[in-house]
Amino acid sequence: MTTQTLSPKTDSPRQWRQAAFAYLLVAPPLLLMLLLIFIPALQSIARTLTVDVDGQVGFSFSRYVAFFQDRISVSNLMFTFQVVFLTLATIFVVCFPLALYLRFAQGRLAAAVQILALFPLFVPGIILCYALIRFLGTRGTLETILNVVGVSGYRTPYLKPEAIIIGLVWESIPFTVLVLTAGLRQVNDSLIESARDVGANDWTIFRRIILPLIMRPVLIAFSLNFLGIFGAYTVPYLLGPAAPQMMGVFMQQTFGQYRRPDDAETQAVITFIICSLVGLLYVRTVAKQRIQQENE
Amino acid sequence: MRQFKLLLVLMLVLVSTASLIQAQETRSEIYVYTDSDTNISDLWTNVIIPAFEAEHPEYDVVLTIVRGVGGGNADIAARALAALETGDDPQVDFFEQIGVDSVADWVDANLFLEVTEENVPNIATVIEATNRLPQEIPYRGSQVLLAYNSEFVAEDEVPTTYAELIEWIKANPGEFVYNRPDKGGSGAAMVTRAIFEVTGQQPELFVPGEFDEELVAQFPEAWELLGSIHDSIYENGAYPAGNTPVLELFANGSVNMITAWSDQALQALNNGLLPETTKLTQLQDLPFTGGYTYGAIPSNAGNMEGALALANFLLTSEIQESIVNEIGGFPAVSWEELPADLQTQFTDVITDTVPTWPGGEYGAAMVEGWYNNVATNIDRAS
Repeated sequence: MTTQTLSPKTDSPRQWRQAAFAYLLVAPPLLLMLLLIFIPALQSIARTLTVDVDGQVGFSFSRYVAFFQDRISVSNLMFTFQVVFLTLATIFVVCFPLALYLRFAQGRLAAAVQILALFPLFVPGIILCYALIRFLGTRGTLETILNVVGVSGYRTPYLKPEAIIIGLVWESIPFTVLVLTAGLRQVNDSLIESARDVGANDWTIFRRIILPLIMRPVLIAFSLNFLGIFGAYTVPYLLGPAAPQMMGVFMQQTFGQYRRPDDAETQAVITFIICSLVGLLYVRTVAKQRIQQENE
Repeated sequence: MRQFKLLLVLMLVLVSTASLIQAQETRSEIYVYTDSDTNISDLWTNVIIPAFEAEHPEYDVVLTIVRGVGGGNADIAARALAALETGDDPQVDFFEQIGVDSVADWVDANLFLEVTEENVPNIATVIEATNRLPQEIPYRGSQVLLAYNSEFVAEDEVPTTYAELIEWIKANPGEFVYNRPDKGGSGAAMVTRAIFEVTGQQPELFVPGEFDEELVAQFPEAWELLGSIHDSIYENGAYPAGNTPVLELFANGSVNMITAWSDQALQALNNGLLPETTKLTQLQDLPFTGGYTYGAIPSNAGNMEGALALANFLLTSEIQESIVNEIGGFPAVSWEELPADLQTQFTDVITDTVPTWPGGEYGAAMVEGWYNNVATNIDRAS
């Protein structure tokens, strides 16, 4: 009787200590995020929602209204969306076959393809840009090759939106292939074999069996790539047109060259809100997976 | 490692005793500090210093390169200011380049020596266009030029005025390119020249630090002018993001005419990076913008005589010639001071007028106006 009542008492400080230790461990990154990300972000949002009229600070959407009334701001935002979605579509068109190949093929060739697919991971963005200028530019490598095989009339994508998409797709291949191949490895061979036994063709197998099973990795690749591309800077800056601009370049321009920090802040908050919506999708996808794994 | 440390300590001791001994008498060393790019420090090491020491065997020039080290020359000037307060030798006699009025304390304390014809006789040969402060010793310049490939551009077609340039671009679509004005001075010069054009070719109207709304109200005329050639620019209006990408487009034959910095173009030419048929020219009505680099002497220099001799030497025709030949720079003295053959070689680009663009608020208005009206096809008002 006495031991029973005593035992929780002796246990609880230990539990408390353990919990405290755990909190202590997560405290530094949490504090860092709080101090360097959340508080400044909230301050920014608050600043963009206030106006100062003769010393009287009041609540106002005027900065956002101004952003959406300005044709150039809106065209830059729309341009960013266009580039993001076209890039994402291209990424999946390029990476699905690659990932499927790497999942099902074996041997030296597959190993070589894997290394090639991961190679962009080790190339800094700025090097990539200059390489692409040389490769895709007027009288560059590609045009020379095309001329040799008798194709003329090549128009370079350099300084056009297409070049941004090419650069961003190239940069995103390794990560997407890694995530998709990892997802595909979890698809059981027996499922595919039994489907084949009942006469399903490759396309049906992909659409009806593989795709539903790897929806989660696809969502993860989608959301993380979206975040990276939406805020891209180096590639659109060096390879893209002077106008329209992607949000990353536009913000820097507004802040540094036009010397209008207030407008740059509004642009940043709009970008932040769009990205956090996609971030939410990512968090939900990962959290669902956790819950499912814990239930299993 | 330990040996290295020992060596380091030994060297420190040696240097400090040496400087102690020297502090008592006038030292022969002239301490020069530079934070400029490699081409400039190379020019000093390979050309200026050997030539100076040959002429003045009594001096020893010690060049210290502080490029990329903290605040560069500004840190050394701060040290000189501290030495000025304590009356010590600042251990610096000449700044290869510094903004003498960039720090208020330097101005208040008269940190830099006023240079006149009495202490540096050759300062008299410096041209008006350098627009120097009394403490400044301009000794090298650079200016934006037109570069064209003479294989494809006939001599009689080469534009000599801005209006002719605009006409040439329209007549030869896709053959000309300039970069975005905020990404490099060569493209900015094309834009600022349009602004000078519509404001009556009077760059002196633009005063740094002042902001004349009436002038800015005339900018839209410049956007109209530049907008009229937008479709005739390389790839129907593709503007690269820097001086170098523009030079590259010219080098590989994508375009046949560009605006380029004199030093970058001449150096690329010397290194064989541009076609041999490349020629440089300057507009004759009002040239493109440019700028000068100014050296300075601290008023408490430990070797004042040496520093003054060096300053004077920088403005001799010998060194001014090497500025042109070695780094593709522009002389700070009149071209007439230079040898006749050099004058004929550069006859197309010679100018004693070097307009400057004030930057600051004008710069922001120029860049934003260009992006919103020239680079974009969107009409903001509609």
